[in-house]
Amino acid sequence: MSSDAVKKRKPKVIRNEEGTPETKRGRAEGEQDVLVYHEEVELEGRDPQQDYLLYKDTCAALAKLMAEIQELKSSGAKSVEMEERRRQCSVHFITLKKLNRLAHMRLKKGRDQTHEAKQRVDVLHLQLQNLLYEVMHLQKEINKCLEFKSQHEEIELVSEEEFFQEAPAEISRPHVTRDDHHQLTLARLDWELEQRKRLAEQYKMSLARKEKIHKAIEQKREYLSSLQPGLQNIMQASLPVQECLSMPFEQMQKQAEVARHLPPPLYVLLVQAAAYGQACDKTLSASISGDVDEAKALSRPPEDSQDDESDSDAEEEQQNTKRRRATVGVQLDDKRKEMLRRHPLSLCVDLKCKDGSVLHLFFYYLMNLNILTVKTKVSTTTDLSGAVSAGELLNSESLLNCLYASDHGQETPNPTNRYQFDKVGITTFADYVSDLGHPYVWVQKLGGLQFSSDGAQVSCDVALSASHMERTMKLLQGRLQARLALHKQFSSLEHSIIPVSGECQHLFPAKVVSGLTRWTMMSYQEFTELGFVQHVLKAGLLRETDLFFMAVVERGTARLLAAVVVNPRYPEVMPLFSLSLHWKGERSGRTEDNLRAMESEVNVFRAELQGPRPGFQLLTNQIQRLCVCLDVYLEMESQVCDGSEGPKEFPREKMCLRTARGPSRLKPFKYNHPQGFFSHR
Amino acid sequence: MGPVELLHMSVFSQSFSPCGRFLAAGNNYGEIAVFSLSAALSPDASQASQKPILNFTAHDGPVFSLLSTDTHLLSAGNGEISAWSWAELIKKSTKAAWTRKPSYETSLEIPEINAMIINPKDNSLIVGGGDNNIHIMDMETGIFKSVLKGHTDYIHCLCFKEREEEILSGGEDGAVRIWDSRTNRPVHCIEVFKYEECARPQFGKWISCLATDSDWMLCGGGPSLSLWHLRSMSPTSVFPLPGCQREAVFYQDLIMSVGEGPHVSHCLHGGTVKAQIPCTPSSLNTLALNLKNTEHRVMTVGGSSHQIDVFTNFSYKAFSLSF
Repeated sequence: MSSDAVKKRKPKVIRNEEGTPETKRGRAEGEQDVLVYHEEVELEGRDPQQDYLLYKDTCAALAKLMAEIQELKSSGAKSVEMEERRRQCSVHFITLKKLNRLAHMRLKKGRDQTHEAKQRVDVLHLQLQNLLYEVMHLQKEINKCLEFKSQHEEIELVSEEEFFQEAPAEISRPHVTRDDHHQLTLARLDWELEQRKRLAEQYKMSLARKEKIHKAIEQKREYLSSLQPGLQNIMQASLPVQECLSMPFEQMQKQAEVARHLPPPLYVLLVQAAAYGQACDKTLSASISGDVDEAKALSRPPEDSQDDESDSDAEEEQQNTKRRRATVGVQLDDKRKEMLRRHPLSLCVDLKCKDGSVLHLFFYYLMNLNILTVKTKVSTTTDLSGAVSAGELLNSESLLNCLYASDHGQETPNPTNRYQFDKVGITTFADYVSDLGHPYVWVQKLGGLQFSSDGAQVSCDVALSASHMERTMKLLQGRLQARLALHKQFSSLEHSIIPVSGECQHLFPAKVVSGLTRWTMMSYQEFTELGFVQHVLKAGLLRETDLFFMAVVERGTARLLAAVVVNPRYPEVMPLFSLSLHWKGERSGRTEDNLRAMESEVNVFRAELQGPRPGFQLLTNQIQRLCVCLDVYLEMESQVCDGSEGPKEFPREKMCLRTARGPSRLKPFKYNHPQGFFSHR
Repeated sequence: MGPVELLHMSVFSQSFSPCGRFLAAGNNYGEIAVFSLSAALSPDASQASQKPILNFTAHDGPVFSLLSTDTHLLSAGNGEISAWSWAELIKKSTKAAWTRKPSYETSLEIPEINAMIINPKDNSLIVGGGDNNIHIMDMETGIFKSVLKGHTDYIHCLCFKEREEEILSGGEDGAVRIWDSRTNRPVHCIEVFKYEECARPQFGKWISCLATDSDWMLCGGGPSLSLWHLRSMSPTSVFPLPGCQREAVFYQDLIMSVGEGPHVSHCLHGGTVKAQIPCTPSSLNTLALNLKNTEHRVMTVGGSSHQIDVFTNFSYKAFSLSF
């Protein structure tokens, strides 16, 4: 082995282990047989255990040699023995190196083997994985296949019995399908397909028919519309005929057409008024005025309008964010206006009187408040500008006041309006009355609206309207006539003439000396400030809605002031007189019993004073009686022995049996006709 | 009765029931109303208890005089006298017990009856009214037994002096005549307006109120209210009351009188006006004192109003009864 030491170096360069002499020898042998010495081959022949023992031996020999060398070196020995030993050491070194190589080679081999095994295992492992994946994949596929729902299951097929009954044999193939479910399903599907095809055919045919019929309808429509102008012409031509025969069909139709758009209360009112006019009172006529299109717009279905509203709201909001928002006051104002909005259509009822004057009543419906209001106008045949004091009589604001007692028409009769007003800050409806009209209770009743005080259900009650119609119309006519009569009387009174009609002459003596010198109107304020009317005020017999007048009757130095309260319901309610006499001092009905008796004479005896029906003479008769009583009083009073001599201012002309009677020594104020004397009551 | 009629109502006469628990009042429409004093004076009196328990039309003309006997209420209408049983009235029955008319000479105008008094000695009713005469009726038989003539104008008021059994009458002619009831003859005639202390020519001469208390007589009307001593037939005091007095009474040591003006005057015998208590009506016609019943001792006054004032303490008005 030591001889190999030099030769070992060379093979180290070559990759394959060729460092042994065998290698050289092998090379030397020839190129034809490249015998490469593989130390691995040698490795397989050697036993690792033996190598290990060899290694140990070699190490021991080396150690021994070293020790010998050491000894020799220390003893100063000869270099030949040392060289010998050195050579042996070298040989041992070579052995060790070989062993080292072998060890390395064994290691490498072992590693390679492991590696290989590992690789094999890996490959197998991979294969296993692949297979597993494939299995999973296949499993999934199988599942999918199993889950697959064919569309055919969604098709509703006729039931099996029906199918077997209906389907023809070539489709149903019972012999096959009874056993095989799959075939059965297929057959059923076939049958379904066939049915559907058939039905599709039918459908197409029906569509075609429908088209044809449509066309026919269109044609007929065109034909009809072509008729329309012809009919119109005929209608137009017949108008004069209608008027001639006073059967205004067309007008009534038009009215009926427009009437469809009226709100329910106005409709009820129209129908009832027209019915009443036709049946009982030819002087009444009713018509509709206003904007029909707006009314139609109002009655459009709510969804459309809501959409519009929401759109417009959105737009508005966008705009508003750009502009400054309107102030709170303006918003409130708008809300108020909205709440008080009138329906665009209104009703006009005309009442004609015998003398030709007409009372026009305009009825409006306030939509959000659900009440009706009325405005009036009077048109007369003669000019009524004569009397100054009569200014208030036909004032459209107050003409219809208190048609029924205490129906002022200043507040809304609908209790729910109170809450609505609170929301928009309206305190009283009276502010808007002059604009919107008066919401009298009778107007609501005519429209069939009934409001109970607990705000219960309000409905358009036709029976209510009908039951009030006659009475209200009569009252309205009576009111107008009474006012016109008063108007005429006032112009006379202002000229200091008391117009006493022929039928009432018997109430008074032929000669009446005291005369009316002044007749003026007063306001409520002025009236209540008078001293001698306080008793009337305290008795609650005057209200702001009344009309107040002052009459001055004079005879000689005596001046009688009469403050008159005329209720709007004249002549149903008697005018009330309060007296104050200025003659030798001031006396009134409170201080002087005789003046009180005169007041009583004028105020209490309605049956005597009202004259012929309908009693429009009442006021003038009262005034005339007042003059007569003043005459009596002055003449009788002058007879009192006041100690003064000389001519009396008022010579006694009236005939009477006694000048005084009773504890209060009243004068005889009662006139007896036809005897013509005065007596006591 | 509407509010206008109530406004023009005047109360002319009053009379308390014998038991003192009811008041009857007559007005110018001929109605008599009976009020329950016990209800009105009770502590739980309400608005309703100040209304009459009974209100009916007794006569055609005004009821100028009411008088209560022990059992009946006598009322005077236009020339007729009706009697109503108090027991029946309290039970709200309005049937008259009897109605009698004095015989009048003229038939042109029926004279009113202004005053009625009872002569307890011979149980006769003495009435005076518009025909210038005094009629005396026997209560039991109902016959008008005598007529006292003398006045030249209608008679306003009557009064009876029990001790001397004399009838005093005051009239529109300004004379106070004194008649002897036993002989039915005039005894004296006083023309008050001729006495300067009393006369008030600006008003007139009529005598509308008379009252006597033993030897004293009160009279007033056109002339001032004056207190006369009958023995000497002269006025001892004259009361400076502004209006014309229509009724005056002696009460304890006071003289109470009502008339024109919305007050009750309390005067002393000496001639001073002690107090003037205000009332609701603007002038008063009648004053009545309920002395029969100590529980309901009130004074009531009525006049040109539909309300009758009730005074529990005579110094101020307590409340008003209303027709």
